[in-house]
Amino acid sequence: MYCNQRPEKPGAKKEMLKKINNMARANSLWVTAYGTGCGAIELRPLGTSRFDMERFGIAMRPTPRQADVLIISGYLATKTLKRVIRVYEQIQDPKYIIALGSCTINGGMYFDSYNTLNMLDKYLPVDVYVMGCMPRPEAVIDGFSLLMQKIKDGRAQGWKHYKENLDYYRENQMKIITDWDLPDYNW
Amino acid sequence: MSNIISIVLTIAGALTWGLLLGGISRTVTARIHGRMGPRVTQNFIDMWKLFKKKSSIHHGGMFWMAPMFRITGAICVLLMVPLVIGNSITYNMSFAGDVFLVIYIMFFGCLGMALGAGNSGHPYAVIAVSRGLAQMSSYELSFSIAVVAIAVGLKTFRIEGIVEAQQAGILSWNIFRFPFASAGALIAFLPMQMAYPFGIVLAPQEIPIGPPTEYSSRFLSFMFSGRALFGTAKLILFVSLLFGGASNWLSLLVKTFLLYMYPVVVSSVFPRFRTEQSIRFLWFVPTSLALVDLIRVML
Amino acid sequence: MIDKTRKELEIRFPLLKVVREMHNYLHIKVEKASAMDAIVMAKTSLGFKTLQLISSVDRIEDEVFQMTWILENYSSKTVLLISADYPRENCIVPSLSDIWPAASAFEREIFEMFGISFPGNPREGEDFLLEGWKDIPPMRKDFLTEEYSMKLYGERQPREHLDPRQYIGDIVGEWNTPMGKKRKEEK
Repeated sequence: MYCNQRPEKPGAKKEMLKKINNMARANSLWVTAYGTGCGAIELRPLGTSRFDMERFGIAMRPTPRQADVLIISGYLATKTLKRVIRVYEQIQDPKYIIALGSCTINGGMYFDSYNTLNMLDKYLPVDVYVMGCMPRPEAVIDGFSLLMQKIKDGRAQGWKHYKENLDYYRENQMKIITDWDLPDYNW
Repeated sequence: MSNIISIVLTIAGALTWGLLLGGISRTVTARIHGRMGPRVTQNFIDMWKLFKKKSSIHHGGMFWMAPMFRITGAICVLLMVPLVIGNSITYNMSFAGDVFLVIYIMFFGCLGMALGAGNSGHPYAVIAVSRGLAQMSSYELSFSIAVVAIAVGLKTFRIEGIVEAQQAGILSWNIFRFPFASAGALIAFLPMQMAYPFGIVLAPQEIPIGPPTEYSSRFLSFMFSGRALFGTAKLILFVSLLFGGASNWLSLLVKTFLLYMYPVVVSSVFPRFRTEQSIRFLWFVPTSLALVDLIRVML
Repeated sequence: MIDKTRKELEIRFPLLKVVREMHNYLHIKVEKASAMDAIVMAKTSLGFKTLQLISSVDRIEDEVFQMTWILENYSSKTVLLISADYPRENCIVPSLSDIWPAASAFEREIFEMFGISFPGNPREGEDFLLEGWKDIPPMRKDFLTEEYSMKLYGERQPREHLDPRQYIGDIVGEWNTPMGKKRKEEK
């Protein structure tokens, strides 16, 4: 390719393959069954008969190795952040994060606590925020629909941002976790 | 050449049918619970998503080979059981004495998965593997006694022969000629499909998901396809042994579907046994039922 | 019933002060030298066999830590609270882990949060609620938690506060209640 050539857009076949892949990823989202905060109680009714989530293809998996989505439900203490980083890095690409509640946006009710962080986006890449304190199951399903729409458009690239700017995230994480004993990257 | 085409078609068809049956079972279980279930093609979407993941972790050589063992076991069982009577495409590879080879290969497939799970190094996987192998030793016994009773009673050790001996009308099916052995084999069918009350290997509330704990992305998609293939192979084996085989494609599909619904319906209303309870049950009840028929045949 | 308890305690500890007394509840305040004797006497001869909680209050104006032990008698359903003041510098309080083994958990928490040392506690000094904490114990009144949070986790954007009565009144329109009409006339 010469240096004065215009950039090439991928061909039609590759575009269609990408679209099929994204449709498959959006229609079967597997959630790590890890309740990090107070919002975990709003996730349990999602599996019952009233707000059935299995009709969207969403299933709860017990291990992060088999999941796609991590739900940060509410406030995040520094102790929990150390474990959540480990869980997040064990999920295979492509992976997404949904953040529930106002504590992840700007600190919420616990903005002046010595223990909880104020802005989640500095430490982990977030794809969808769901407002509320705690959001009701219908609001969580709305958040999932937004995430599915984002995946189908190809805009949910939080995992790529994490991989490319790993130094920035690590610097922020090490600033608040004082006894850091995690490996370099948890493959 | 036509042999290879028929083999490939058999495997592809069994994989599709297995995944479709899985989706139907999820939907039926959901409707029993009173909610709308997933789509019927949900398992295909899951497999495609897992296959297209962009990174995967492996833990060593045995980890790679374990899903391959399972798929190999499933394919061997599929190729030795005649799918449709009188249709030359599907008499793939049968010979005398292959009923014992089939029992051995079924065990070999599960053993491969156990070795791979052990190689992953996760303690939960090891616990699940020890439980699974302990349970397998108890139901394989009753299943083998039932199969031997049927084979000795019909005086043939080929699966083809067993199938051809049941072609004289409905009342000549083995389930009516050897009722006790069939009862023992059908009770041993439940732990084979990992259905409650005997589903202790994949116990999601106790040990997170059992042997496939460390399996991710592409390995997991192989594992799922292996499970679908193996399930279909076992169904076709049971239909041939107990329910008179299938004389055309439609009756094969209908019979496997009805037989597949039996563990689905049973497992959606039962809780789970503990390991020692299930082993105790499987050592005594189906074994004694199958032994009754074996003694009756020997005398 | 609680009368009998108070009378027996007054015989043994004449410098006792009753903070509050209800029909099944007694809160007394003793000197710090006789706190342990009061607790052991309540457990052995008065029947208060269950330790509910050990709590501590930082009274910075009087420069004391007020320790409170809450005991309960399940057979007669009465509650006894015993308080004592300890000086704030180099605070050392005797430990109750020999009498009730579960007391060691409460004492570890108070050690991390207030800095009160309990010699005799078998697991003091291990990380319990705070991991890698380097500042002064956070529940003390001279620890400024909002400033700490803003410094470590970053400032959050200020938000405007709206008076609900005026905000809703502007949206909904006139108020049809008598109080609303009066308020409108005043405006």
